[in-house]
Amino acid sequence: MKKTAKNLCGPEAGRAFYDGREAFMKAALEDVAGQFSLDGASFYEYDEKLGLLRLRQRHAHGISFEHEESLRPLPGSAAARAIEALAPASSKTPGGSFLYSPFRFDYCDPSGGRSVVPCFGLVRMERSARKPRFSHSEASRADAYLRSFLRDYYKAEFFSLHRKYEKSVAAITELTEVFATALRVQDSFRHILAGIQTYFGFDRVRLYLIDEKNHKLKGELSADIRGQIKSMAYEEIPLEPGAHRFADIVLGKSSGAFMERYKDYVLYMPLAVQGVTIGLLIVDNLLSQQLIEPAELAMLKSFGGQIALAVDNSRLFDKVEELSLYDELTKLPMRRYFNQRFQEEFYRAERFKQPLALVWADVDYFKEVNDTYGHQIGDKVLKEAGRVILSNLRKIDFPCRYGGDEIIILLPQASGIEAQRLAERLSRELSELRIPVPFSKTRELRVTMSIGVSTFPADASTMDGLLEKADDALYWVKSHGRGKIALYSDVAEEKKKSAQAESK
Amino acid sequence: MIIWLLSDYDHRKHLAFKSLLARFSSAYPDTTIEFSVKSRRSLWESLFTHLRDPKRNPLADVIEIPQNWTELFSRLGLLSELSSSVEVLSQRRYPEFILKELCRQEDFRAYSAPWWLEAPSLFYRPQALKGAVEEPENELATWDGFRAALDRVRAPAKRGNFRVLSVPGSSGSVSVADVLPRVWGRRGGLFSDDFNRATFSREETAGGIEDWLELAVSGKIELFNADRFENGPRPAEDCAFIISGRKLPGASRSGLKMLPYPGYPSGGGLMLVSNLAVSASSRDHGEAAAFVAWAMEPRNISSFAESFGVYPCVKSMFEERLREEKDAGVYRRLFSAPELKPNIMVYPTAELLLEHALWNLSLKIARRDYEREDLMRELILAQGEADYLLSLY
Repeated sequence: MKKTAKNLCGPEAGRAFYDGREAFMKAALEDVAGQFSLDGASFYEYDEKLGLLRLRQRHAHGISFEHEESLRPLPGSAAARAIEALAPASSKTPGGSFLYSPFRFDYCDPSGGRSVVPCFGLVRMERSARKPRFSHSEASRADAYLRSFLRDYYKAEFFSLHRKYEKSVAAITELTEVFATALRVQDSFRHILAGIQTYFGFDRVRLYLIDEKNHKLKGELSADIRGQIKSMAYEEIPLEPGAHRFADIVLGKSSGAFMERYKDYVLYMPLAVQGVTIGLLIVDNLLSQQLIEPAELAMLKSFGGQIALAVDNSRLFDKVEELSLYDELTKLPMRRYFNQRFQEEFYRAERFKQPLALVWADVDYFKEVNDTYGHQIGDKVLKEAGRVILSNLRKIDFPCRYGGDEIIILLPQASGIEAQRLAERLSRELSELRIPVPFSKTRELRVTMSIGVSTFPADASTMDGLLEKADDALYWVKSHGRGKIALYSDVAEEKKKSAQAESK
Repeated sequence: MIIWLLSDYDHRKHLAFKSLLARFSSAYPDTTIEFSVKSRRSLWESLFTHLRDPKRNPLADVIEIPQNWTELFSRLGLLSELSSSVEVLSQRRYPEFILKELCRQEDFRAYSAPWWLEAPSLFYRPQALKGAVEEPENELATWDGFRAALDRVRAPAKRGNFRVLSVPGSSGSVSVADVLPRVWGRRGGLFSDDFNRATFSREETAGGIEDWLELAVSGKIELFNADRFENGPRPAEDCAFIISGRKLPGASRSGLKMLPYPGYPSGGGLMLVSNLAVSASSRDHGEAAAFVAWAMEPRNISSFAESFGVYPCVKSMFEERLREEKDAGVYRRLFSAPELKPNIMVYPTAELLLEHALWNLSLKIARRDYEREDLMRELILAQGEADYLLSLY
């Protein structure tokens, strides 16, 4: 038990540091009980507003223990007199003799603020009825002895407040850095939540962002008290008044009564950038029911702008990245992105000895479409082609607008036959499309695709080889009437037969 | 090894633990043990503070917890699995009603070992009931009978400090520990049977709470009473009734007799179980688990529990104690249909929500501006928060 009391400067009262309030109270009660032959000693804090004494620590029968007890001193009693006059008072009853030694001191906020932290209470010393009562001189000595101890209490409290202040300064420095360096959306959200949990340690932190397009508040991530971060993508809240209290908060329509009830345990912090709300950060101590200290709330609120900015920045970063890697028209990745993924997928296929199919597609007569109907219609054709492709692929497939009307699709772990099936599906869906052309006689346009397919390792053992073989197959289709699909293996077989026939 | 013991209003428990440790130290002189006695609130805060910053706020190696905190803190990763290292747990040598709540989610793993239990009961002094209660067994079996008896009992002459009812464990305000036995007696509870919703404001639950609050409103129990503080412990002779979960010291000398808690006419009642757990972050899990196993040994658990008038949880000792019990008849009725508080993740927090509501109501009662609407408003608000918690966890 002595472990927590760090007696750094010697045993005398008034010269020791204690590691926290509990360590101090325990040491003080044990010491005073020993010095003055007490049967019990208790440390009470006084709640002036409610007029209640709250037991914090008690020492009796050689054991110190915390216990919960709140009581109101009887008017005119020794305890009431001690509190009122801030002077020791004693009493003798059939239950024993009691000496009350009150204390009161106020701390200045170590952060330099103007707030004052009051510390008010009394120590009750007791002797059983069979022991002599406290004499006047004994009461004075005991009170003086306790007062010298209470100077340590003051120090312990002050240092504890100072530690909190230091922690806040560290939090400000490091969180600012976390928020400033957060870039990619998922990483940065994780960093932000982890940063908040590291310094504040709430039961939960949840981040919601506004999806303007769908008019929803969407769950992003949550972090629990152990720092575990989970996706909340399953949570979607309609952004309409009355739909949900989170929506009301974001829309500025939440009721005051509701916020008042939860204000000590939950902070709902709308995230706004330049006056526009982009999301909602919620921190709570609902499970532990521990008050969120006002200083913590104030600090977190002061981070609100930075968090919002960091969230917005990371979303912008992702947007810019999307623009640089994806084709805006077809929504398909661009060639630069494809080259990177092609290398990764090819390496994976080689290493794990898995097949990899490559589909190379070309919109038939695309140049004529542009020349005849204009680029607007040409763009529509490409847009529809992109949509059809994206809606038919597996998660692991990777399409790309390779240039002009040429589209390449990587199909990891797919054989030539499987790639052919996909190509047939794409070709069929595309041919069923009717692109409206208001000013033409037919009023609509129908398009087809020529598609060539090659596979690793059957057709080629290098990346260039795979591209080349798919291009060969595509060329074969184009030179044989277009609107079809060809596997390079079939084309090679065909070519072989033709060559043999020619040689004969 | 450091142990955190839950504080108790009854100093006999602290002394019993001290003597238990002395025996352990003489059996295992190489093991150094320190212990701290923490209040429920302080223990709760320490556990959460550890979760927030484990390095700066280490946990004790062995921790005494209320049984229904087990699920919460094991799911938060604070408690070690014990059934592999504590034989009584692996062999399930506990009464069935205790095991049922210990392993609500799992059959094979246990994150705390049930240690001792108490059963809230009614003690009375026949001398004080003369002229007010003719047949205590019958008249005090129901809450209404008990309540009427409280009104009829008069203070004897020359007993200025006389109180009709004493609740030794009171913390000053009306607390969850005070109201729950009555809530259970009315077949109420904090959650529905399927744990899908909170039921604070359900008639049975609110009624049970109201029954107890009425005792405070009518002055049968005094809130924030300074009496014990100013005058020392009240002798049992100064009370007609005492509600306590354990055998009182000198009960037979004072002529106290025991009955089941009023309102359980067919027997049964709410039992409060305390367990020992080993923290997951203990540096010497083996030593800590060995202490728990040692504390559960028949002689140790039995002498510890007996020292402060409670029952040991290990089945053989529980049954032996019941056989030797002077008030065996009453205890048999109590244990005929025992009920425990549910060991589910949000239950401890739900109790805190109710505690908060009861504190607010106690202040109002003490200020004499309490009305029934206050109770319903507080319960509805607390219920809303508990429902929200259920949706989160």
